[in-house]
Amino acid sequence: MIASDKNARSSEGGCPKTDLKLIALLESIKRRGRGWEDLAAQYGVTNPDPPWKIALDATCDLLAGNSMVLPADQVVPGSCALPSVERRAEEDDLSATIYADVPFPERQLLALAHSMIRHGLIDEEELTRRMKQVHERLTSV
Amino acid sequence: MSDKPHEHKPAPMVDEVSDFEALEIAVRELAIEKGLFSAEDHRRWTEYVHTLGPLPAARLVAKAWLDPEYKKLAVTDGVKASLAVGVDWINSPPTGFGTPSDYCNLRVLEDTPKLKHVVVCTLCSCYPRPILGQSPEWYRTPNYRRRLVRWPRQVLAEFGLQLPSDVEIRVADSNQKTRYMVLPVRPAGTEGWTEDQLTAIVTRDCLIGVAMPKPGVTTNIKRPVHPAVHPVHHDH
Repeated sequence: MIASDKNARSSEGGCPKTDLKLIALLESIKRRGRGWEDLAAQYGVTNPDPPWKIALDATCDLLAGNSMVLPADQVVPGSCALPSVERRAEEDDLSATIYADVPFPERQLLALAHSMIRHGLIDEEELTRRMKQVHERLTSV
Repeated sequence: MSDKPHEHKPAPMVDEVSDFEALEIAVRELAIEKGLFSAEDHRRWTEYVHTLGPLPAARLVAKAWLDPEYKKLAVTDGVKASLAVGVDWINSPPTGFGTPSDYCNLRVLEDTPKLKHVVVCTLCSCYPRPILGQSPEWYRTPNYRRRLVRWPRQVLAEFGLQLPSDVEIRVADSNQKTRYMVLPVRPAGTEGWTEDQLTAIVTRDCLIGVAMPKPGVTTNIKRPVHPAVHPVHHDH
């Protein structure tokens, strides 16, 4: 029952190949960031996924807008920030290459940030600044 | 009020902010500030996703095993049958974006002793989230997605599911409009069981089709994730 009407990525209009150039901020997180498996083991937490996983999935879904529910060839270019098929294909590419050594779902997050930077949705410098602010905010008790 | 010291121990929690946690928040906040989506949409979608899991699908299967009429409904109209287990494909998802009406074609694939279904999404990771929750990591990997359609029998064997050669395997390839779940064969040894007892043995893996329900087995196996042998080169 292999579906014949698969919503394959359109080879006609085509999407650009995934930009695999390293991004300094994300490389730094990749090197020093502590994954959930490591943290959960240290603190004796048993939930398999980090608490931020659902928020990450929601972000991915919302960036996709109606590309979540329309075949790829029916998604009007520019109608959503980051079409789901394009993002997932880029995540596959990035997961198999520069983020191959990062566990899941941390690599899903790195891949999303990578795609957003490369698509010009966010800027590496502002992301660096915002991460610093978030960290300060969450640790300022 | 008792003078006894408070004996309740709080559940363990991670007491540090990881770079990944900060990255997730930073990405989300910037996306909201730039108007890519609203904070309210994010909150509603996150709350909705929090409610999802494989239990409704497991209950659908248990009900179908116990009630032949409900089984008929399940295999002919999965969306309608989902209502009986508390899942409304059309109205439950937040409707502030997208077109949820397109996202509501559930097909329930009934196994027989000589026919085994298994679900994949070869393109990305389409999954019947309203009734099955979030997909497992291995379901998302190119390794599973590519190899299952080529060598389903071998891939199922890697999950510990050895099927006799006279059992036909059908691979259902999900897409953005149609989602699938498997209605496995009720196992021997469950005669007289209640719906709750039956529900407990229908694991997520049984619903994807990479496992068969078995009395006493209520958890999924942890499958190691392998990279694809051939590097990814999408025809973008």
